[in-house]
Amino acid sequence: MTAAEGAIQKVRSERWRLFLRNTGSFARRYASRADGVVGLLILLGFAVLALAPNVFVGPLETATRATGHAFDPPSATHIFGADELGRDMLNRTIHGARISMTIGLMATLITVVVGALVGIIAGYVGGRLDAVLMRISDFFLVLPTFVLAIILAPVIIEVVGSDAEILGIRATLLVIIVVIGLTSWATTARIIRSQVLSLKGRMFVDRARVIGAGPGRIMVRHILPNVMNLIVAQAVLTFATAVFTETTLSFIGLGDPFQPSWGEILNSAQSTGAPGLGAWWYIAPPAVSVVLVVLSFTLVGNALDDLLNPKSASRR
Amino acid sequence: MTERIGEQAGQEIPDTVAIPADATVAPATAAEIRGRRQWPLPKLAVPDAPLLEVRDLKTYFKLRDGWVKAVDGVSFGLADGEALGLAGESACGKTTTALSLMQLLPSNGRIRGGSVELFGIDLVPKSEVAMQRYRWREISMVFQGAMNALNPVIRVRDQIAEPLRYRLGQPEATSTARAVELLDMVGIPRRRSGAYPHELSGGMRQRAMIAMALACDPAIVIGDEPTTALDVMVQAQILELLERLRRELGLSLILITHDLSVLAETCDRVLVMYAGRVAEEGPVSRVFTAPRHPYTRKLVGSFPDLRGDRRQLAVIPGQPPDLLTPPPGCRFAPRCEFAMPVCTEVVPPEVRFSDGVRVACHLFPTSDVETVSTGASAPASAAPAAPA
Repeated sequence: MTAAEGAIQKVRSERWRLFLRNTGSFARRYASRADGVVGLLILLGFAVLALAPNVFVGPLETATRATGHAFDPPSATHIFGADELGRDMLNRTIHGARISMTIGLMATLITVVVGALVGIIAGYVGGRLDAVLMRISDFFLVLPTFVLAIILAPVIIEVVGSDAEILGIRATLLVIIVVIGLTSWATTARIIRSQVLSLKGRMFVDRARVIGAGPGRIMVRHILPNVMNLIVAQAVLTFATAVFTETTLSFIGLGDPFQPSWGEILNSAQSTGAPGLGAWWYIAPPAVSVVLVVLSFTLVGNALDDLLNPKSASRR
Repeated sequence: MTERIGEQAGQEIPDTVAIPADATVAPATAAEIRGRRQWPLPKLAVPDAPLLEVRDLKTYFKLRDGWVKAVDGVSFGLADGEALGLAGESACGKTTTALSLMQLLPSNGRIRGGSVELFGIDLVPKSEVAMQRYRWREISMVFQGAMNALNPVIRVRDQIAEPLRYRLGQPEATSTARAVELLDMVGIPRRRSGAYPHELSGGMRQRAMIAMALACDPAIVIGDEPTTALDVMVQAQILELLERLRRELGLSLILITHDLSVLAETCDRVLVMYAGRVAEEGPVSRVFTAPRHPYTRKLVGSFPDLRGDRRQLAVIPGQPPDLLTPPPGCRFAPRCEFAMPVCTEVVPPEVRFSDGVRVACHLFPTSDVETVSTGASAPASAAPAAPA
């Protein structure tokens, strides 16, 4: 091995060691925040349920099988009781976690990717492009999210067809994902753009340009890492909103009846008159799940924001 | 005042005579520089041209009310391995001159005239794309305020590797290894090379900036107030580092500073600027011990003396002129105690003395001396730059 190769090897191993050390110190700082830890634990619990529902309650088919009687209250065999068709509520709720979390994750990805892309390009390039992109985002900011979603969802379902499958995901689910993404990217774009504007004026951007980095390189290599903290915090908070929006859209009947998300369960509970019959076990499990997921995401998001934001006071 | 400075230093101002052409030692030419360079010279390089030759440079800034003549007819030369200091008070055009060399002017700045010849290649008419060949590879810069010039979220080592990757197209592994070497050379130990900028001290960050400037083995390094934000101890270390690098690498340096003591310590020659023009230029030892231009005298005189009376600091009354409408004659005339009627009307020609000093002032008659028109023979003044 030549000296140069040795040096490169050393640089690589050192890079890995530094990465581990930085990750370790970040984990320690995160662990010192009780709210963040509680949020993360709840989230991990739901993530496990969503990833492997079969281990806990069996495959999706079992969720549609009536194992009890209509409106059975909670008992030893049916911990969360049964619905109007005698289906196990625990089973439905756990399978609902899978659908709700998937939609939340995909919608967040769309939101963050589009928002970051638009925000960084608008902020860095500036000028006319910035003006155009920001007017478009203004349009989405001004429109009430929910109203837009209610209008868009049936329109897109009509256009695509409710039975179509794209990438193995049913079109109706995809529509909800797209609608949530469309209505929430503008906020992310705005937040990131404002940060990019201040970064653009910093001297290291000028320096990068002088030493030969083009606009693309500057945006990817110099600007993006500097707004990563915003993107992460924004992603976590968007996830919470996405889960909530999904629940709401499904509740008012814009979801996919064949995919039991939490919103769908609440929708069927409402339409069968569960509240009037006193069947609280029909409503409580999905509703509490939604609240817990939204709460835990908010807790994690705030903790991350505090830790990753260099300007926050709690950073050490 | 005039006598005092001269007597104090025990120096006498020599007669203004033309230097015989054969008395000068020719500075290293492009052909000689080629021998020890890591990279080949630009293809267009003229073999017998000096390193850098700036002639009658005019850089103006466009404002709503007209053109601000920030640099107006500045000429100087830089010999290989030489350190030239640009001195003068704030807003006299030091930084603009340096930025003009790399054509890194703000969007409203234009080079309106003159030439910047590097290895005999005039850079002024070059397009933005063509300039990319010269920026950082031939002329690089140590920026003022190292904290702001480093990206806070990228490791110092990786930032220093950037010019190698972008300018020279080196692969990541090679450039990173080279960056670590460069950091080692400027005195940042290898194990600290993976640090982020905020994990380094101010002095170390400035060292890192110097390493970055050296990355592509440039012909000329410009230091724009490289020690301004640092305390005196660190300042001394950085200057020592620059001095060492000059010795070891044969670096040619242009140092911009308003700190005359820094200049006296590091530079071979000094160029004193006032309001966008050259006031006086020559070997550091000559200019500081026997200043000729009234402005240089004042500038040297206004430097606080450790042993002097601390209550009375010599100041220059008045303010530099508005460069939008500069005075027609000598630009220093309104503040000059020796101002004569001619000063307010005629631009003083540059007069060369036998000891290599060049002055633009009417106090020195031009009747029997060679008048340096636009610095065509400026490199001649670079040759006898032997600090006493």
